[in-house]
Amino acid sequence: MSELIIKNIQKFYGDHKVIDKLDLQINSGEFVTLLGPSGCGKTTLLRMIAGLETIDGGELYIGGRKANNIPAQKRRIAMVFQSYALFPHMSVKNNIVFGLRIKGMELHDMFTRLDWVLPLLGLEGLENRLPREISGGQRQRVALARALVLDPDVLLLDEPLSNLDTALREMAMEELKRVHRQVGKTIIYVTHNQAEAMTMSERIAVMNAGHLEQYDTPGALYRHPRTMFSAEFIGSPSANFIPGTIEIKNGELVLNSEIGLLEIDETRKDYLRNFSGRSVVAGIRPQDIILSSTRTHRRASDSHVTLGVELIENHGDRSFVLGRFENGLPVRFMAANDSDYRTDARVEVLIDGRCIHLFDPETRQNILEK
Amino acid sequence: MGKLDRFTPTSPLKRLVWTIGIVATAFMVMAPVYLLVKYSISDMESINTGGLPVPLWPYHPTFAVFSYLFTDPEFWQVVLNSLWIAIGTVLLSSLLGVPAAYVLARYKVPFRRAILIGIISVRLFPDISSVIPISVFFISLNLYSSFSGVILAHTLLALPYVIFIGMSAFEGIPRDIEEQAMTMGANQFQIFFRILLPIAIPGLAAAAIYTFLLSWDEFIFAHFLLDPGGKIQTLTLYLRSRITFQPPQNLLAAISVCLSLPVIIFSFAVQKYMISGMTAGSVK
Ligand SMILES: Nc1ncnc2c1ncn2[C@@H]1O[C@H](COP(=O)(O)OP(=O)(O)O)[C@@H](O)[C@H]1O
Ligand SMILES: [Mg+2]
Repeated sequence: MSELIIKNIQKFYGDHKVIDKLDLQINSGEFVTLLGPSGCGKTTLLRMIAGLETIDGGELYIGGRKANNIPAQKRRIAMVFQSYALFPHMSVKNNIVFGLRIKGMELHDMFTRLDWVLPLLGLEGLENRLPREISGGQRQRVALARALVLDPDVLLLDEPLSNLDTALREMAMEELKRVHRQVGKTIIYVTHNQAEAMTMSERIAVMNAGHLEQYDTPGALYRHPRTMFSAEFIGSPSANFIPGTIEIKNGELVLNSEIGLLEIDETRKDYLRNFSGRSVVAGIRPQDIILSSTRTHRRASDSHVTLGVELIENHGDRSFVLGRFENGLPVRFMAANDSDYRTDARVEVLIDGRCIHLFDPETRQNILEK
Repeated sequence: MGKLDRFTPTSPLKRLVWTIGIVATAFMVMAPVYLLVKYSISDMESINTGGLPVPLWPYHPTFAVFSYLFTDPEFWQVVLNSLWIAIGTVLLSSLLGVPAAYVLARYKVPFRRAILIGIISVRLFPDISSVIPISVFFISLNLYSSFSGVILAHTLLALPYVIFIGMSAFEGIPRDIEEQAMTMGANQFQIFFRILLPIAIPGLAAAAIYTFLLSWDEFIFAHFLLDPGGKIQTLTLYLRSRITFQPPQNLLAAISVCLSLPVIIFSFAVQKYMISGMTAGSVK
């Protein structure tokens, strides 16, 4: 029993509301990521779960126990700080067993745990080094090992990879996934990096300004963003937003957008008929804007739009292209590198109506996903 | 570019000015030390030259006054006294100052600023002006001419340093480390004794050494709080008692050399602690 339930939780710093009536339910053994921009309250929420910040409203249940007033020392959680917070005067080994010592564990059991965790994180041979004598990647692994030996109900990780360089970070991501598979702990992982969240998590809680925008699997977040914020934050590069209205033209339901008429997918027409005349914002992922020259078959839901290419960023197999629609609206899209386009060229692209997300400009909610 | 490059002069003129500056500084620092050592090993002939200029180096260097000092039981007694007083001061000021420094560094203490100003104000008055009221107070407490009285007075002088140096040592420890220990189950005492204190040790050791030296060569309070004819004398009082109508300069120099010895020894010892980096590696 190590599921975690957050009900209507709130946090204030003076008058400043940092966490606003947030609900979150995390299953036992699940890997959940809190994702959001800097300052949205991820660390604060994590510290409330850890018991390092008071809870100003709502309830927190860890493993079925109401934990609001349980002190940090007794919550059966382990936390890895962004800074790793290794004890500088203790060897790697002593850092790892510190928590077990505090709990008064028998020496024999302590060594059993140590013998389990050192190979799990590839730390053999470093036992007697001081934190300042090992590399950043190794410190990150010591911090993780130190949390794992405690055998916590819930493992909290606050941006544990943000201090590593790209190559190391990718290795550490793989490793963390492997460790999660092996130990099956409930993990709450905090990051502002959507790619990290997408690769690692079973579910992602997208946070914005202290509230929850969407809580879904990575796939669902990508395909069905519930809010403009989700659409913008998930996926890289972020989605294009094009204002328009839903209209009936020649008896057909279409999206009359600033870049021209866009087709609406058949399956959505019935539902969207109720919205005709309404202003919307169309969210289109860069991956869903396709050079016409690279697609031979046409679909009824495809719309053709021309745009001017302004900047090409080569990513090896594909390029990220920055362009401008004829009305001057900037656009980002991805294009295969074997296709024919250059800077300053005019190209025709396809936008598949099935890939258009429609948002209410006022509430910024997706009008198709409820 | 290394840090030092910036200070290495490139043009010959700059180099010359730089060199002169260094030599002048070294001379000013070393000259008194040289005189002290020279006099301490001078024979009387090199001191009372009968009108001739005093030689740069003694005609017949001798350790005679040192032999005299080291065979004088009174000398050893005052050295021991000074040592006990200094050690007592270090212990008492650490015992009082370190927890105070921790609390002031880490907790929201009411009137924190006022308290800090109060602590530092002990050092704002010249010793000579605070020594009278303190002496009167101590006499009323029966602390006159006792080890405890001098130790207490020296602790009073040392506490501001211990507290301020200690505070910066504790403030230098990231809060994350403390919170990490908390989530691992450690209570406030365990966090203090197993985490914070060991990390702060280099800073606290510097304060302890400073305190030791402060007490070791303190004169004014010792002079007022100890009966001049009494049993308890310190090394500085012993030195003062030898300054008579025609003081034997070589003896005074020799006592001064003994008085300075711990300063020199500790200065070298402290260098090791000055190499910071104890906390390096704990937080990136
Ligand atoms: N101790 C504090 N006092 C006042 N405001 C704080 C404190 N800690 C965090 N905040 C504020 O709370 C908000 C959320 O911070 P944080 O949880 O650290 O965000 P994140 O981890 O998502 O970057 C920020 O606006 C921050 O300025
Ligand atoms: Mg944060």
